[in-house]
Amino acid sequence: MATGGAIVVAFLLGFTEWDLIGSPQWVGLKNYSTMVNSDLFWKVLGNTFWYVLLYVPITIVGSLFLALLVNRKLPAIKLFRTIYFLPVISSMVAVALIWSWLYNPEFGFINWTVETLFGLDGPRWLLSTQWAMPAIAILSAWKVVGYNMVILLAGLQSVPKHLQESALIDGASRWRQFTAVTLPALSPTLFFVLIITLINSFQLFEQTYVLTQGGPANSTLTLSYYSYQNAFQFFRMGYAAAVAYVLFALTFIVTIIQFRLQKRWVFYG
Amino acid sequence: MDNLTGWQEISTTRATRSASITRNWLLYVLLIGIAAMMVAPFLWMLITSLSNPSEAYTYPPSLPKQWRFENYGELFDRLPFGTFTFNSLKISILATLGTLFSASLAAYAFARMEFRGKRTLYWIILATMMIPFQVTMIPVFFLLKTLGFYGSHAALIVPHWFGFGMGAFGIFLLRQFFTTVPRELEEAARIDGAGSLRIFWSIMLPTARPALVTLSVLTFMAHWNDLIGPVLYLTDTDQMTLTIGLAALGGGDLIARVDLLMAGALVSLLPILVLFVVAQRFFVQGITATGIKG
Repeated sequence: MATGGAIVVAFLLGFTEWDLIGSPQWVGLKNYSTMVNSDLFWKVLGNTFWYVLLYVPITIVGSLFLALLVNRKLPAIKLFRTIYFLPVISSMVAVALIWSWLYNPEFGFINWTVETLFGLDGPRWLLSTQWAMPAIAILSAWKVVGYNMVILLAGLQSVPKHLQESALIDGASRWRQFTAVTLPALSPTLFFVLIITLINSFQLFEQTYVLTQGGPANSTLTLSYYSYQNAFQFFRMGYAAAVAYVLFALTFIVTIIQFRLQKRWVFYG
Repeated sequence: MDNLTGWQEISTTRATRSASITRNWLLYVLLIGIAAMMVAPFLWMLITSLSNPSEAYTYPPSLPKQWRFENYGELFDRLPFGTFTFNSLKISILATLGTLFSASLAAYAFARMEFRGKRTLYWIILATMMIPFQVTMIPVFFLLKTLGFYGSHAALIVPHWFGFGMGAFGIFLLRQFFTTVPRELEEAARIDGAGSLRIFWSIMLPTARPALVTLSVLTFMAHWNDLIGPVLYLTDTDQMTLTIGLAALGGGDLIARVDLLMAGALVSLLPILVLFVVAQRFFVQGITATGIKG
């Protein structure tokens, strides 16, 4: 209930100027006009979508692949499921610190692997304006695939066995069985996973806080961190609340679009 | 003729069996390859944490010639890591108890009591789970600051006794359990003179024990791993939790001591890892509960 109140208050704050110490001054739409006239805001918006575009597909494809891989009765399969789940329980701070060491351009494990396997000089990862965002997306996907895997696995295990078997008896290939039977039956679960992954991706914060603080040259500055920065580093509470509302609206719109699109591919049996 | 078909049958079963072994063999290669990708970062953390700092900063990366267990001693001697660990434990335990308290009472009310606007209220509470934290961050911060919680652990504990954070998820999880308790059981208790609180305590809570454990485990993990809370509300070094302490040291004192930083990361991961090994079932149950219902 308090959260509900806070949502209203935050909306109102978006129309004020406030440094947290004095009382908020009503300024109408000024925060929003500052926003649309700021080059940085558009860059931040672009970065946010860039991250979503990188993170969501890697995560969805990766976790679906893992779920299909571990959805069978094999000796020690439980052990593999447990191992894939380990990053999920770990704190993002620890994971980010570990990966920043792996990404180290001079002494890092990743660039050493890149050189050993492909004979290439790896990028400067978190220090490069071009590679910092992909680097964050990769480590975030690595951390979360095990979580989605567990949800998808539960979905897969509720796919009626007799449907899959009758498809095979009718002479369907494995691939055909997957696309015609398994995937439609799994689609509600997949839809749920897609929605939470999308919502999550707009809220990217901890990785940025630990690794780049939005840098280098604002290349990893996304709406979520931009809002935090304005609120708690520059004490522009009104502007930060307005940015947070843009984030909220975006999340909402993207979710609605997904709900509209689901009619085309999600089957509720 | 019969013999021939019989032989053919045997040969096909043999062929399928060996094909399935080959296929499984390939599967295992894949499974192990991915497992290596999942474990390698943790393993590398462990190796670096036991390295000499000068050895850590060499190319190509290599195993240390001598394992330096002293790194862990140095971590706790030089930096307030004991304090960080204590703070993390204190906040996580007290906040988890708060969530159990508030979520179970609210879930009981939603499962068994009739009041106006119950359904609407329930859906509003569920909807708050979908709201990005950035939206409520500033008003909540101002509220807690006004209450005098800024700069103290109370900011990270007290709100959870009123259903903040994991409360909505807890209500959702526990309500499902409470609705499965047979009404007859409750009525029998009422005839014996038990009040609502007594029923809650001696009938409802024991039935929901698996859900309570699931909620505790997930809530504890959420608080143990939380960064934004400590970032917003904690001001002094000796108040810091492991997450914010590590984040601060990563860019500060330990910027040139990756061996100690990795040792710190490992220390921060260990308790949750132990909890996971002991209560793995409950982690997975909690996650699938949200997934299936969602």
